[in-house]
Amino acid sequence: MAKIAIRINGKLFQEDIPERMLLVDFIRESANLTGTHIGCTYEGVCGACTVHLDNEAVKSCMLLAAQADGHDITTVEGLAQGGELTALQEAFKSEHGLQCGFCTAGILMNMTDFLKQHPNPSEQEIREGLIGNLCRCTGYVHIVNAVLKVVQENQLKKA
Amino acid sequence: MSQEHGKDWMGAPLPRKEDRRLLTGKGKYVSDIVIPGALHAVFVRSEYAHAKILSIDTMEAEELEGVERIYVGEQIKHTIKSMPQPIVQPNLPAHYPTFWPLAVDKVTFHGEPVALVIARNKYIAEDAAELVFIDYEELEPVLDPEEALKPDATIIHEKDGTNEIFSMTFTGGDTEESQAENATEVEQIFQNAPVVIKERFKTHRTGITPMEPRAILCDWDDSDGLLAYITTQRPHIDRLALSDILDISAEKVQVIAPRDQGGGFGIKAPFYRENIIIAYAARDLEQPVRWVESRYESLMNVGQERDQINDMEIAADLEGNLLALRNFGLADNGVGTVGVYWGFVMPFLGAIELPNGYKWPKADIRLKVATTNKACLTPSRAFGHFPTRFAIERCIDMVAHKIGMEPSELRRKNLVADLPYTSITNEYYDSGDFVKVWDTLLEKADLTNFRLEQKKALSENKYVGIGFGCGVELSGVASELFVPMENQPGFGAATVRLDPRGKVQVFGGDAPGGQGHETTTAQVVASEFGISPEDVIITTGNTGSTPFGSGSVGARMGSYFISAVAEACRQLKTKITKILAHDLQLEASVEHFEFKNGEVIYLGDDSQRSSFLSIVERIIMFPINMPEGETGGLDVTSFFEAAKPMICFNADCCVVEVSLDTGDFKILKWITAEDVGNVINPLIVNGQMHGAIIQGISNTVFEEFVYDEQGQQLTADFEHYKMATAADVPNININYATTPCPHTPLGTRGIGEGRPSSVPGALTNAVCDALRPLGIEITTLPLRPDAIWQKIQEASH
Amino acid sequence: MYPAPIHRYSRPLTLEELYALLNSNDDDVLVLAGGQSAMQAVKSRMLRPSHVIDLQALSELKFIRTKKGTLTMGAMMRYVDIVSSDLIPLELAALQDAASRVGDRQVRNRGTIGGSLCWNYSAACTPATVLALDGKINLISQGGSTRQIAADDFFLGPLETARSESEILLSVDFKLRGAKSGSAYKKWGLITDALPVIGMATCLHFDNTDRCKHVRIALTGLANGAERCTAAEAVLAGTDISAEKITQAMSAACEEVSTYSDSIATAAYRHQLIKTIGSDVLNIAKKRAFGLA
Repeated sequence: MAKIAIRINGKLFQEDIPERMLLVDFIRESANLTGTHIGCTYEGVCGACTVHLDNEAVKSCMLLAAQADGHDITTVEGLAQGGELTALQEAFKSEHGLQCGFCTAGILMNMTDFLKQHPNPSEQEIREGLIGNLCRCTGYVHIVNAVLKVVQENQLKKA
Repeated sequence: MSQEHGKDWMGAPLPRKEDRRLLTGKGKYVSDIVIPGALHAVFVRSEYAHAKILSIDTMEAEELEGVERIYVGEQIKHTIKSMPQPIVQPNLPAHYPTFWPLAVDKVTFHGEPVALVIARNKYIAEDAAELVFIDYEELEPVLDPEEALKPDATIIHEKDGTNEIFSMTFTGGDTEESQAENATEVEQIFQNAPVVIKERFKTHRTGITPMEPRAILCDWDDSDGLLAYITTQRPHIDRLALSDILDISAEKVQVIAPRDQGGGFGIKAPFYRENIIIAYAARDLEQPVRWVESRYESLMNVGQERDQINDMEIAADLEGNLLALRNFGLADNGVGTVGVYWGFVMPFLGAIELPNGYKWPKADIRLKVATTNKACLTPSRAFGHFPTRFAIERCIDMVAHKIGMEPSELRRKNLVADLPYTSITNEYYDSGDFVKVWDTLLEKADLTNFRLEQKKALSENKYVGIGFGCGVELSGVASELFVPMENQPGFGAATVRLDPRGKVQVFGGDAPGGQGHETTTAQVVASEFGISPEDVIITTGNTGSTPFGSGSVGARMGSYFISAVAEACRQLKTKITKILAHDLQLEASVEHFEFKNGEVIYLGDDSQRSSFLSIVERIIMFPINMPEGETGGLDVTSFFEAAKPMICFNADCCVVEVSLDTGDFKILKWITAEDVGNVINPLIVNGQMHGAIIQGISNTVFEEFVYDEQGQQLTADFEHYKMATAADVPNININYATTPCPHTPLGTRGIGEGRPSSVPGALTNAVCDALRPLGIEITTLPLRPDAIWQKIQEASH
Repeated sequence: MYPAPIHRYSRPLTLEELYALLNSNDDDVLVLAGGQSAMQAVKSRMLRPSHVIDLQALSELKFIRTKKGTLTMGAMMRYVDIVSSDLIPLELAALQDAASRVGDRQVRNRGTIGGSLCWNYSAACTPATVLALDGKINLISQGGSTRQIAADDFFLGPLETARSESEILLSVDFKLRGAKSGSAYKKWGLITDALPVIGMATCLHFDNTDRCKHVRIALTGLANGAERCTAAEAVLAGTDISAEKITQAMSAACEEVSTYSDSIATAAYRHQLIKTIGSDVLNIAKKRAFGLA
C-alpha cells in the first residue's frame, strides 16, 4: 500500500491505496468523481479518461494513482466555476457538440488545454488535436464547430 | 423562456436539456451507479475458437483472498434455463442453438464466456480469473461461411445437424412452386436483357461499437426481488427475459436503463447471456453484483455485423430501365448464441430492404445464413442492410457505366415515384417524394460543373471522382413486421402526466443513448401545451414507472414514441378545454381554443382565457362543479400504431481525390439530401446525420474485425480495431427535402437508424469514378488504400 | 485491464537515489518514464513489475544542451518538449517530425525520448529517427560510470536494447554537421498519426560540391523494428540525391527487407510505402539541407 495525496479540483484527497491502482480509478472511486470515464482496456487510445495533470491533458487510465501523488488534477467537474460553464462548455451546448456524453469529459479536458496552447488554430489543427479522443455519436462535426466558436469568440475579444 | 410562443418549439434548434449534466460530469451511466457492498464480476473467456472443455480448475482462484464465488457452465446448467426462450426468439423458422450463459461441454468462439469470477473488487477479480485453469481439446474451427455449408463441414451446434441457421427466399410468394416459377421468369429476363451486370460483392465484419461498453448492476432483495441497472436499449424486454429465464415472477423484476447511456447503435439491443448470470449471481449470493465490460471483451463479443457475400445480378435495357434483380446473399453469422436477434435477423431484414428506392419489375432474392466459430453478429446501425446497400449501389453504378449513362441519372429514372408503394420484397413505403430528395441533392452536387473540373484535374494527372447513393430507411417498426421478426410489438406508448403546478411529466419505456429524446419530447409537449420545454420532464427506461416499449431501436422515436406523446397531449387538451369551456359557460371544444404563452385562450373571444397553470390545478386539485361525466386528474397513456409500416429516405453524394501512388484517398466533400419528415430539432437531427455518415465512413474504410486461420480474433483493442478520429473524416453538408409524413400526428418520421447504409456505396462509387480512366471496379470492402493500389497496379499491367 | 499486484512504488529525486533503488536486488523492476507504452504492457499484464521506479522527479534528465558541435538531449524530454523547443536546429528536424505525430497530444504530454528508445517497439517512430540521425546513447550504471553506445549497436531487435537491467538511459548525443545538413521523418498508418505500418527517417549531409557525403536511412514498422537501409544508402552516397537516384535507392531498400501481408497492408503495399515515404523524406531532407524548406 502507498500513502498518497492528490489535489483534485482544488480539494486534497489523501488515501492509502494499492500501488497498482490506476489514477482513473482513484478519481472515480476514491474521489467519487465519475465524470471521467473508462472506454478502453489497456491500450489508452479512446481518451475518455482525459484529465489535467498540472494543467496538461493526460490520459488518467495510463497513470498509476501513485504517479499523481503530490500533483494537481483537474477533472471535468472542475471546469465550471461557481456553476458558470466555461466558454467551451457553452459552445458545446449551443453547437450540439455532444450526444451520449460518454466521450465529452475527455474532449473538454483535452480541448481546454489545447486552446491554451493553440489559441488560434485552423480547423485541421483542431481535428488533429482531437486524435486522442474517439467519439462515436457526433461524427466530430459539431465538436469542431464548438471549438471553432470559442476560437472566434476569443479572436473577437482580442480585436 | 416560459413566455415564448408554444408553436415555435417545433423546428427550433434548441440546445439540449441533457447537456448541462453531461458537460459538467454529472451524467449517471450504469458504471457510475453505486450500490454499497456490490461485488465485482469478471468473466473467464475462451482462448479457442472451437474446443471441448475437458476440465475447469477453479481451486486456486477460489482460495484467493477476496474471491466470493466462481461459476462454471457445468453447475449452472442445472439451475438456469437454457436458451432459446420464447421471449427472445423471433417467429421465424431457424435452427436456434441451445446455450447457457456460460459454455457447457465446448466453446464455440474466441471470447465465449466460460467461467464467472465474483470478488470484492475488480482488481482481485482479474487476479482470480487468471488462476482459473481450463483444459481444452481443440477442435477444427469453421471460419468460412461457404465452407460451413458444405456437406462435409464440421457441425458447430451438433444438435441442429447443420451450420445453416437460417435461409429464406424473399420474392415470388410463399410456396416453393411460386418461388420456382418466379425464378424461371427472372432467368428469362436475364437471358433476354440487353445489359446484365453480374458481380460478387463482399462486405467485411464491422459494426458500430459505442464508446460505453456494456454493464449491468444487479441487486436482489427477498421481498422486492431483482433490480437490474443495465446498459440496454430495451429494458422492458430484458425484464421479461430475466423473469422468464430465471423464474422470477415478473412483478419482482425491475430493469432500469439509466437516462444516461453511452450510445447503443444496436449493440445494446440484444438480450445477452452475461446479463442472465449476473442477475442469477446476485440472487444466489444475495449481494449486489456488478459487471462492467472491458473494451477487450466488447470487441471480442459484440459490435460485429455486416459480414456478408452478395452474388448480385442486375438486368437493364439500353435506356437505363431496370428490368430485374437477382441476389444470393450469404451471411457469416458467427455462432448465433445471442438472444433476440440470433445474428440472422439482421441479414433477414437486409434482404427485405435490398430493393432500396428503385422500381424492380421482377426480382429473385434469396439468403442463406451460416454458423461459424466467430462471435455472433449483433445489430449495428443500418441494421442488416449495410452489405446489401453496398452491393446494390455499386451494382447500379456498374450498370450505368455499361450503358454509358450518368449513375445519378439512372437512379433518378428508376426511383419509386408514386408512393405509397410496395417493394418487390413486400416492404411497404408509406410516403415520401424520392425524386424531390434526389433533385435537391443533384442541385447541390452540381454534377455538370464537377465533370468539367474532373476533366481538368485529369489533364493535371489528378484523379477526382463523384459518387452517389441513396437509402430507404425504416421509420419505426410496425407490429406487422416486429411481431414476426422479434416476437415484439411495434406500438409507441407514452404517459403524459400534468401536475398541479402546470409542469408536465412524460414517461416512455424505450431507452435512448444520446439521441436527445428528453429535449425532443420536451419541445413537442411544450408546443402542444403552449408552455416552455423547461417545464417538461421525461423519464425513460424504467420498467417500474414507464409503459411498455419495445425499445430504442429501428428509429421508433420520431415515428412511434413522439406520436404517442402528441396523441396523449391532445387527449389531455380535449379534456382541459372541455372543462374550461364548461367553467366559462361556452359551447366550445378543443378546436376553438389555442394553447399559447402559458395560457389557454378561446379563439372566439380572447378575453375568455385561463392560464395553463390555473386550469390544470383546478382540474387536478379542485375537481368540483365538473361537466357531466368528467372526473378530476390529468394523466393519459396513449398508444400509437401506424396503420402501415413507415419509411424515410435520404441521398448522398461525395467527392474524393485518389492518389495513384499510394491508393490513398481524401473525401473532399460530402453532401446529403434528407426527407426526415417534419423536423422537431434541426440541431439534433443534423447531429444524427453527421454521426451516422461518419460511422458509415469509418466502417467502410478503417474498421475491421479480423479472425486468423485458427479463429483467433486479432482486433480486440483500439490499436488494432481502428476507429476514425476527427482528423480522418470530412465535414458533412446536410440538406432537407421534406415531405411531412401523413400518418403521424406531427408529420415526423423516425430517423437515424438506417442512415449509414448508403455510405459504403456512395464512397466506393466516388473512388471508382475517380479511377474510371483505369477501368477499376471495387466490389470488396473494406475500402483500403492498399486494395485500391493493387487494383491500380493490375489495371496498369 | 488492471495491473498485477505491484509491491513498491518509488520516486527518486536524484540519480544517487535511483542507483540505491536499483541496487536493492528487487526482482521485476520497471523503470517508468512517460509510461505511454510501458503502462499498456503493465495493464495487459504482459509486464508484471513488483517494483515501479518512477523517473518523473529526476529533473537532471530533462534538458537540451549544445556544446562543441554536439546536441545532447536528456532522456526525460517529452515529445511535447521536443516539439516546442527552440534549441533543436533544423538539421535535426526529423526529431520534431517524429515527436509531433506520436500518438496524440495527450500521449505527447507524457511520452519521453528515453522511454521510447528503451522500449524499442517495432512500430515506433523515435528509435528509427535516432538511428538515422546517428544518435549516440549515453548509459549510466549503478556505480555512476557511463558508457556511450551508437544507436546502430543499441537497438538489438523489437523490445530489445543493449541497455542492461542495471543501467539507465541518461541522454542522447547528436553530432551537428552544420551547413548543408538536413533530416526528415514520415510515416504511414491506416488512420492519421497511427503507429507506423512503415516509417522512414533520413539524415543527409552534403559537401561543398553538393554531393551527399553522408547519408543514413532508417526504417520502422516491419518485424525487425528500427533498422538501417544500408543498400539504399550505398546507392545514394556521393550522389546529388536526384529523383532518379532516389528511385534506384528505394528499389534497393525494398530488396533489402522482406515485408509481410496482414489485414492492414499487403507485402507489396509495404514495399510501395517504402518507396513513396522514402522518396518523400529524402526530398524533404534535401530541401532542408539547402535551406529551401
